[in-house]
Amino acid sequence: MKKIIPLSMLCALSLMADATLDSIQKELETQKQKTATLESQMQALSRANTKQSASFSQNAYLPDIAFILDMSAVARDVNNTTYSNYAIPGFIDAPDTPELIFNPNRGFNLNYAELALHSSVDPYFDAFLVLHLQSNVFEIEEAYVITTSLPMGLRIKAGKFRSDFGRLNKKHHHSWHFDSQALIHEALFGPDALKDPGVQLQWVAPTDTYLMLGAEAMQGTNEASFGASESNNLYIGYLKSSIDVSEDISLLGGMSIIHGENFVNNTLNPTDLYGIDFTLREQLGAYSSLLWQNEFIQREKNLGTRVDKQAGFYSELIYTYNNNYATGLRYDAITQNDTDLSAYSGVNTDNLDRFTAMLEYKPFEMSRLRLSYTYDRSKIISGERKNINEVMLSLNISAGAHSAHDF
Amino acid sequence: MKKIILTLVLGLTLASANINVDTTYSTLGAIVKKIGAEHVNVTVLGSSKYDPHFIVPKPSLLAKLRRADLLIINGGGLELGWLPPLLRGAHNSNIQNGAKGFLDISHSIAMINVPASVSRAFGDVHASGNPHYITDPHQVPIIAEVIYKKIKLLDSSNANSYETNYQSFMQEWKEYLTEFDAKMQVCKTKKVVQYHLLFNYFLNRYSIKSYGNIEPLPGVSPSSKHTIELIRMMQNEDIKVILQDVYHEKKSASFIADKTGARVATLPHDVGSLKGSDTLESFYNTIAEQICR
Repeated sequence: MKKIIPLSMLCALSLMADATLDSIQKELETQKQKTATLESQMQALSRANTKQSASFSQNAYLPDIAFILDMSAVARDVNNTTYSNYAIPGFIDAPDTPELIFNPNRGFNLNYAELALHSSVDPYFDAFLVLHLQSNVFEIEEAYVITTSLPMGLRIKAGKFRSDFGRLNKKHHHSWHFDSQALIHEALFGPDALKDPGVQLQWVAPTDTYLMLGAEAMQGTNEASFGASESNNLYIGYLKSSIDVSEDISLLGGMSIIHGENFVNNTLNPTDLYGIDFTLREQLGAYSSLLWQNEFIQREKNLGTRVDKQAGFYSELIYTYNNNYATGLRYDAITQNDTDLSAYSGVNTDNLDRFTAMLEYKPFEMSRLRLSYTYDRSKIISGERKNINEVMLSLNISAGAHSAHDF
Repeated sequence: MKKIILTLVLGLTLASANINVDTTYSTLGAIVKKIGAEHVNVTVLGSSKYDPHFIVPKPSLLAKLRRADLLIINGGGLELGWLPPLLRGAHNSNIQNGAKGFLDISHSIAMINVPASVSRAFGDVHASGNPHYITDPHQVPIIAEVIYKKIKLLDSSNANSYETNYQSFMQEWKEYLTEFDAKMQVCKTKKVVQYHLLFNYFLNRYSIKSYGNIEPLPGVSPSSKHTIELIRMMQNEDIKVILQDVYHEKKSASFIADKTGARVATLPHDVGSLKGSDTLESFYNTIAEQICR
């Protein structure tokens, strides 16, 4: 096809050596038209040639499917057996240390394979399913429906889902800025985060400024803070709002209250949590941004005989240089730990904190390599305060359906 | 009590008789303004300074979507990376996909560069074809027509006004295109390379051939190997114009320009991306001037 134009030009030139410029241009125009006609005929043919679908095929209704893999190579100055029995005094005590789900081993880890499905169900519901797979674990991480057609800015979510309180809890591991869970989240909710069967009602106000109110009722199976099992016992409320200081600078803030019941010593007693979160993001260019994200959570756990007051926060600063490189720092700390620490007599349990630094390289938006260094001063290992050094290289890929970018 | 509420609701609806139209990008917004004029409040969600694939999903956009009566999207996968969670989070049933207040313009466009097979091994290819049809001024009447029909359907009370605006805009644009096409007839630039496949619709329209891209694959950053190949090809084919957009890095283009003696033409990809491209006419004029200069 490409050859037709120059060839015909050549022919035209040689045949009519004394032809005027006008006639050559005319000829060129006709050839162009012919080319265009041929091209459109070709396109029509290629369209007609597409395979005929089977009469009852339902492939077009397949849900969006993504699979996510997360793996790492870890160097740590604590051996695996002792590390797996670490304690965070007052929160996670060594004998009941939950199974570590992310990066437990020195050497290589396959953390998980995750299968995420999404589909419209009908004009009224969208459904989501996230299956979390580990070597010996099959977990329905989330399985829920949301409404799409309620009036007045309302939306209901029902099923098993991660609570939307605060900033981090809702996000899955692969969309965190660091490979480890924020210390206060791990301390209060364990590696499973706050997720349960339940219902959620959210309302977005019809205002110029974004304002969202949410309420959730959940089963309350999380044993780290709750754990009453005879009836649903967990109630969560939150308020979120955001303003744009300028076109490129946005602030996002939230406040949350969580009320549930614990079953320590076989009696039901209330557990209350209060959280605030604050995020500032400045867009520096098309692919470059600065993000400062902070979250503080306090827990008041009534144990009948006493009320434990514990709190902590994380603060992270992420600089995204372009669509390939990003770097970030995080500081985690337990700021209040008024509980019975007599099991740790003789051990310094003050100033539990952690520093993490990371450097990210994304060859493409669906894959991410992350190198991180952690200096962890929050753990008691084998009855002793042990400051842990850890270097990790992690690889996360997300194949298939494209998940949207985070704020 | 009921009466009070009724009058209140009625009062509110009368007071805000305008319909709220959100568009994902600015060129679509400019076309809506031409047709809706004083009867619509247009909100453009995505900044024309940035990559249309990577609009920052600011929570403030949720508040904008919450009150929209009509959401007009470019479609073709261009909003895939940022709009769906916002749409879910805005809790506005009027503008959900499939609702009366949702309009995907790409469904009315004859898409080009539709890939025969799709894999992310080929980079960020869009399965339904090249979504950057907005750069071709001949698409404007097609877009205007679907927008006109949709707005008229949603707000029949101002149908006459919309029809007048639409007819006069079509006339105005027809004249503009005649003049524009005449200008493009004498455009000397016939061969270009571009950063991304942003201007294919424009280039196809005016028989300008795009020989390659600075990015090795859509959405993949330039590599030295690919850049060297591109330079060699440009020298062989005698290509003297590099089309650069406003949001990608500029170093690669100026390096290639240095090696080949080509000129870097910075083009707006959407109304308002560049200074002096704030109207539909000046947007397309800037593209033409930059390419043909």
